[in-house]
Amino acid sequence: MKKAIIGVSVAVVWGVCVTMFALAAKPEQTTENQFTILTVKEDAVKDYNTMPVFQDLAKETGLDVKWTFQTSTQYGNNTDPVGIKGIDAIYHSGFSNLKLYDYGKRGRIVAIDQYLKVMPNFQKILDSRPDIKEALKSPDGHIYSLPRIEEMGLKQFPNILYLNKKWVEKLIDTNQMPSNVVLTKEQLKDGLDLKRSEFKAILEKFNQLDMDGDNDPKNEIPLSFVSNNWQGNEADLIASFGLPENREHKTVVGDKITFTFEDEKWFDAVKEIADWHDKELIRSSAFTQGENDFLARGQGGRYGSFYWWEKKTVCSNSDDYIIVKPLINDETGERYVGVSNEQEIEKGEAVILGSCENKESLLSYFDKFFEPIYSAQLNYGSIKSGAFKSEKVNGKLIPNDDHGEQSADDFRMKNAPYGVVYLTKETWEKSVEMESRAKLRLENLEAYVTPYKFEGATSIPNLNYSNEELVTLNTYEASLSNNVASWYANAITSGAVPTKASWQGFLDANKKSIEKVKEINQGAYDRYLEALNK
Amino acid sequence: MTDNSIGQTSAEELLKPHSKWEDWKANFKRKGWILLFIIPAFIYVIVFCYIPMYGILVAFQDYMPGDPILGQGTHWVGWQNFQTFFSNPNFQDYFWNTFILCILGFIVGFPLPIIVALLLNSLRSKKMKKGLQILFYAPHFISLVVLVGMMKFIFGSDGLLDQLSAKMGGDPNGLKLFLNPDAFRPLFIFSGNWQDFGWSAIIYLAALSGVDPSLHEAAKIDGASRFKRIFSVDLPAILPTIVMLMILSVGNLMSCGYEKVLLMQTDGNLVTSEILSTYVYKFGLIGGQYGVGTAAGLFNSVINVALLVIANFTSKKLSGNSMW
Repeated sequence: MKKAIIGVSVAVVWGVCVTMFALAAKPEQTTENQFTILTVKEDAVKDYNTMPVFQDLAKETGLDVKWTFQTSTQYGNNTDPVGIKGIDAIYHSGFSNLKLYDYGKRGRIVAIDQYLKVMPNFQKILDSRPDIKEALKSPDGHIYSLPRIEEMGLKQFPNILYLNKKWVEKLIDTNQMPSNVVLTKEQLKDGLDLKRSEFKAILEKFNQLDMDGDNDPKNEIPLSFVSNNWQGNEADLIASFGLPENREHKTVVGDKITFTFEDEKWFDAVKEIADWHDKELIRSSAFTQGENDFLARGQGGRYGSFYWWEKKTVCSNSDDYIIVKPLINDETGERYVGVSNEQEIEKGEAVILGSCENKESLLSYFDKFFEPIYSAQLNYGSIKSGAFKSEKVNGKLIPNDDHGEQSADDFRMKNAPYGVVYLTKETWEKSVEMESRAKLRLENLEAYVTPYKFEGATSIPNLNYSNEELVTLNTYEASLSNNVASWYANAITSGAVPTKASWQGFLDANKKSIEKVKEINQGAYDRYLEALNK
Repeated sequence: MTDNSIGQTSAEELLKPHSKWEDWKANFKRKGWILLFIIPAFIYVIVFCYIPMYGILVAFQDYMPGDPILGQGTHWVGWQNFQTFFSNPNFQDYFWNTFILCILGFIVGFPLPIIVALLLNSLRSKKMKKGLQILFYAPHFISLVVLVGMMKFIFGSDGLLDQLSAKMGGDPNGLKLFLNPDAFRPLFIFSGNWQDFGWSAIIYLAALSGVDPSLHEAAKIDGASRFKRIFSVDLPAILPTIVMLMILSVGNLMSCGYEKVLLMQTDGNLVTSEILSTYVYKFGLIGGQYGVGTAAGLFNSVINVALLVIANFTSKKLSGNSMW
């Protein structure tokens, strides 16, 4: 009897526990219009749930959207972010082309092109801009992510050459200007014209003399950059030899995919840069440092000149630096600038999970993001939180730079969610004014850099490959870029003069890779052109 | 008399021919409980070494996290991942780099702790021995990131040595050790050994402490010098340990860890510093090609197993010491 009582009570307790656990584990009942979106943001950025722009969006669409967060470190630790339970979409997913395609073909993220009927804005974009449509497609022709499109025309030209005006003035004052350079102090302003040989001669003086006046003639760095970085690299220095160089050494010239390193001018450039390195005009740290090291080294005012997209962040004495136009080729008297392959159409900003129950509603919500009024707020911060001036000018929203003690950068970092936006030339003209720093940079580029773009050179767009092509590309492209990077860095920093035989040997050793990569890229590019012309 | 009879029967029993199995059974009855001590190690090996092995199947799949490794959604691709890996034009270089880096590391790094242990062991002053031992194994506790940071700070471009040489009027581009492909291997191996020789010596010191002091006394009486005693008493005593550790390290010969290599890598030294494991990391994990990455890792493991078997076999033939 006793045993039976114990048995029954154990069973009852067990039953109660199981029911309680089951109830606790049951997800909240969600209605059709409730969504949870995971976003990747740092702790300093404000809670998206409290941002007026998202509150406005929710009000307009009648959806109840809850944002949850992970920092980029947390997010990076997910091996399978799409598998996270209880979310309907990922904002700032950062998925690569390959990942989008892999998730897409498994149906784990939604093919957005199948829901265009509820997305009038996105539909309009795709209809009016075949290049965007092509760029967003995956190998199977589907669009698996919502893009970020911010067309300012800045990314194609990521390098500007800055020169320390104070140091040059010092050379003029002390009569130590190199004999082949004739410069007056009046000429030392933005847009300075210099031949490459003149620039070199000035750098040599920078290296020999104690320019910063600390009685140490050796701590000046005549020219600095971050080799192989997406911006602030030495591509334009190489381009000055007469070829459209960018950091991938790959560009389109007259509809043909071209590797710049196959050109003999490229070898001449490498030889010359090696000489600059051996003469201590460029430090070997330029080839090992990252962005942060570069910026840290610049703070003490040690740079005689540098390549970067702007000067304020590089040095505390930024007023001392002036813009030098692309260096003039001594033989031809021409200037050349390459075009980078950085894209202004970015895939993978937001993905909708296959498990989302009401895809139409959520996509119609995201479709609103493409409207200028929302794009602007997503990019710069909400109107209600003071990101824009209270009065429009010519119907355009004007970004507000004055945030009291807070810097404009700081304000934007905390208040703007970024992500899915559509800001094009038309938007800048009609609806939103560009941020002043970007505007200044654009003006600088238009005045001093873009006019010298290598004729016929364009950047390589997002190309689509078939499965087989992807496999072949995987085999050859990574090893080729490894080999180029190491040959290049060695040729310059080894201390020996690079020989033509070694360059030829490098080309021969990689012949097959070069041919394969070029062939596949060209095929994909031809298809891209064909699709555009349809 | 009863005592006697019992003694007689047991003597008879003992004289009866025993099968091996019966011996084992009797033994197990008496001492079997000792085996219980294996259980934690056994569980550990099963859970952490054998169960994860099913992941090897990924090498034959077009895999993506979230896919079932065995199930309906599995995309089998046969040997395609291996083909992709082997047809990589740089495959031979990566293989060769791995091999050279690891074998050089082995040649330098294996005898060093033995020598250090023998020397420490024959020190007369106990205090000195303790002090030196702590001094030698302290670097082991520096994390890899900090170690490479220190190296870059001292030997790197614009590092301490470069700045010193510039201060004295030399070339500020100085050493360029991190850009020079020829400097990568020495830098890697010597920093690694600096960090670990003291730590690895501990196991030999433990083996040496088990040497019977009477052997040393006997040798002393026979007039053996200190040096002679190291060779004739200490070394033979720890030889089985040495052989066992050698077999184990040969089994790990092709895996010298990607973390430090990756930290030390620059464009300039890629020629020597790109090894199989960094390739697996970059291509497989970062590039999202999990299948190809696993295939490359599996290839590496197969070579390691082959080396282990060869080393074991050779040692069995030559010295009679072996793992199985």
